[in-house]
Amino acid sequence: MLSLMGGGAAASLAGCSAFLDSGGDGTTTSSGTGDVSLDASQWADQAQEAWETVVDNPGPDAQETRNEAYLDIEEAVRNSVIVLNFMHDFSERFWYDYVDVPKIGALGQSFQQLNTVELTNGDTELNRTNSTHAHVDPIESDDEASSTVITQIYEPLVTYPNGVPEMENQLIEGFELSEDQTTYTFNLKEGVQFHESGEMTADDVVYSWRRMTESENSVRANFMLSSPDGVGAVHETDDEGNVVPGSLAVEAVDDYTVELEVRNPNPAVMDVLTYTAFSIIPEGKVGDVEGYEGEVAHQDFRVTATDGTGPFEMDTFEIDNEVRLTTFEDYHDEVASVDSVHFAIIEDPEALFTYAVEQNADIFGIPTSYYDPSKIDASADDRGRDVGTYGELENGETVNYLGLPELVTRYFGFNAGNVPIEVRQAFAYVLNQQEIVDDVFAGRGVPAYSFTPPGIWPTGQDGYEEFQDSYPFSPNETDIDGAREVLESAGYTEDDPFEITCTTYVSNTYQDAAGLLRDKLSGNGVEMELEEAQFGTLVSRGYEGNLEMYSLGWGWSWESVAYGHFGFEPKNTDTSGMPADNNGYYLDWHTELSENSDS
Amino acid sequence: MSRWRYFFKRLLLAVPILFSVMTFLFIILRKGPLDPVAARLGPQASGADASRLREQLGLNEPLWDQYIRFMTDLITFSGESWVTRAGQPVAEAIASTVQVTVWLGFWAILLPLFIGIPLGFYAGLRPNTIGDYVASVSGILWLAMPNFWLAVMALAILRRTRGGWFGFDWYTIGPDISSLVGQSPSLAFDSLQGVLVDIKLILPAAIILGSASMAAELRIGRTAILESINAKYVETAKAKGLKSRTIVWKHIFRNALIPLIPIITNEAFILIGGSVIVETVFSINGLGRLYFLAITQADLPLAGSIVFLFTLLIVFLNVLQDFLYTVVDPRVGVNNE
Repeated sequence: MLSLMGGGAAASLAGCSAFLDSGGDGTTTSSGTGDVSLDASQWADQAQEAWETVVDNPGPDAQETRNEAYLDIEEAVRNSVIVLNFMHDFSERFWYDYVDVPKIGALGQSFQQLNTVELTNGDTELNRTNSTHAHVDPIESDDEASSTVITQIYEPLVTYPNGVPEMENQLIEGFELSEDQTTYTFNLKEGVQFHESGEMTADDVVYSWRRMTESENSVRANFMLSSPDGVGAVHETDDEGNVVPGSLAVEAVDDYTVELEVRNPNPAVMDVLTYTAFSIIPEGKVGDVEGYEGEVAHQDFRVTATDGTGPFEMDTFEIDNEVRLTTFEDYHDEVASVDSVHFAIIEDPEALFTYAVEQNADIFGIPTSYYDPSKIDASADDRGRDVGTYGELENGETVNYLGLPELVTRYFGFNAGNVPIEVRQAFAYVLNQQEIVDDVFAGRGVPAYSFTPPGIWPTGQDGYEEFQDSYPFSPNETDIDGAREVLESAGYTEDDPFEITCTTYVSNTYQDAAGLLRDKLSGNGVEMELEEAQFGTLVSRGYEGNLEMYSLGWGWSWESVAYGHFGFEPKNTDTSGMPADNNGYYLDWHTELSENSDS
Repeated sequence: MSRWRYFFKRLLLAVPILFSVMTFLFIILRKGPLDPVAARLGPQASGADASRLREQLGLNEPLWDQYIRFMTDLITFSGESWVTRAGQPVAEAIASTVQVTVWLGFWAILLPLFIGIPLGFYAGLRPNTIGDYVASVSGILWLAMPNFWLAVMALAILRRTRGGWFGFDWYTIGPDISSLVGQSPSLAFDSLQGVLVDIKLILPAAIILGSASMAAELRIGRTAILESINAKYVETAKAKGLKSRTIVWKHIFRNALIPLIPIITNEAFILIGGSVIVETVFSINGLGRLYFLAITQADLPLAGSIVFLFTLLIVFLNVLQDFLYTVVDPRVGVNNE
């Protein structure tokens, strides 16, 4: 029997001292610059092989094997520059002196339950802002805005309190894992009350998880079904690939005991279960699960007819305008000290800043156009967060400040079918991470040298630094000679340049970042054009495989290296199978596998 | 041809216009590069979830069936939003935003009318005087300033009035308001105080939205007056010995209005597009912003319904324009036998 360990994968990995020699086949040098193999299929093969190793070795005792494979993937990604990582997000939060709010952690503010916030100025309503969202149904949620609100109303069995990566029980007393590590037995807390429907029992858990996998409204069923980028629960599928209703291996043993069976041992199961979609709602609440009529229409449930176990209840929900939550007095843990929480839905930076300096928002962000790094007076705490003050604001107030690296990586991706490895490496040579962070993002970022952020690096902080030191493409400097050299080896020169189009979000910052790269390579063998696309367009063009170079970001919803790496498996990046069969990044990296290359 | 037959004909003509606009929109959004499923699910979605949503939205049906369903939904204002308000009935989404946009548009048209036209007439009646120069130059300056910049400046200045920087506090002049942004007018119209608050909340946005048309009305009003003032019938009226007051109001004013009518009705159309920027900066939950989001996220049912509504409105305004012509200028249209 195992008791629930906080932190899951990363915490147990952090102590792992054996640094595994990078370079899966020993052919790389890690001396600093130059001499990175231009044999594209070597890297693609290395990534494919490493991912298969991860999938084939799921047990807890194979942690070291997996870590080795993760490093191989990171190395293959970096050296073949199939994506060019340039920045990890750095999030900042400001709040007025009369607000007493716990510091948030690397997983982000959407994990923070606001019953822990106190207002010392006598106000009874906590005021925040949020982005627009159309609903608060846990299984429909795929964005930060809705999950910020959902976290207040609904709760999963386990959580990362305040987004700090140390897992804690929320609705369970503990759990047991069977000998073969495939059956989880959860012991539910007794006396947990829903807002409307009385006490929570095991049947509610079974219903909620069935709904998450079976309902046509669910957008994240794969988090329950797939593995290792999800739970990997045992289930049956019909001819069309849909889950057979009732076949999910979740069972209520008695009122307070639930059993979950997974296909393979999977160290990330508990981490995945923190995701909002696994939140518990009362059995039979909505009729989108076979065998249930539904007490309320889904149309109402997703907006105002909410019913969860969280510290707040829904009061007002006007889409694109405001959300007001009121305190749930029978909450099973600490009842909130405020009477209500109000979210004004504001997205425009000018409006956001106005709303904040009017003191209408108690906790807020400062748009980059109004942000001045010299106003920060902060020092690092034991978790590497910058804690201090910021000020003065326009209204004369000095406010509290918290800055912390988040589990988000920003990158330029390349479609391997359209862009050869020499050109990709040229981009890596001229990329100056620090310059992009400072000049384009006003210093609000952390330079990236890998895809997996340092906070969840498989071999811990020392391992990360070692990997960072071996960065082969002149980190933080513009190495035009290196770029010219590698381009010339492929026959691209000033007179006969490689032409490429870079597609970014509709965003000045990403255009500026790409523009920096364009200007450095122009006249040196690569001529680049910039274009912008709406997010949806970018994604669907990614599916079609007709992007050459594009900007995107990846955010980790829970602490797991696999949850970022599954998208690099070369066979999973085949865009011809997207979105139906493949869910990797839009790289077409499979074209460089030795089994697919012509030579 | 009677006046009513004339209007009826205009209305009938609107049907093919509506039809082709909707068909065009359907083709652009369905065959264009935007994918509603990708927009809704984001890059972390799995293939299975994406194909299920595709099925659920009916995107796997033959295009012809999709087209028929789209058109039926439009005409009956049924259907659900795909992305922007995912799952919300279109009628509900529009109803929740249209009031505030109408309120904004109402003031954005009304304010310029009562400022721009009188100023233009004032300048036109006193050509080449100091007053004329001041009015004309300030009108051109006003026209030259882009809406988004004006909106940002208005916020920056008004929020600084809290400490009395400029000798007044916008937040407490008249009815109190707590914020310049994100405050939707209640539009309950149940008390004078409530109406005043609603006006105050929308006022900065409305003035900015109407700024361009205010300047246009001023300049065209001035020219129109200048033209009529030298017309023969004015001379005749003068020769008859009419009081200049009567000449101005009965003869010059009414004739000068004619070129202004299409300007004013076309403004309504410009306001619909212009409201996107102003609604965004002032964080007003209106139809302009909703339309912008819907069209950029390939939310076909929602974008379609809003365009349908806009088209209806424009057709209606065109008819209204013709009607106003007949009122102001008896020579127009109804009797061409």
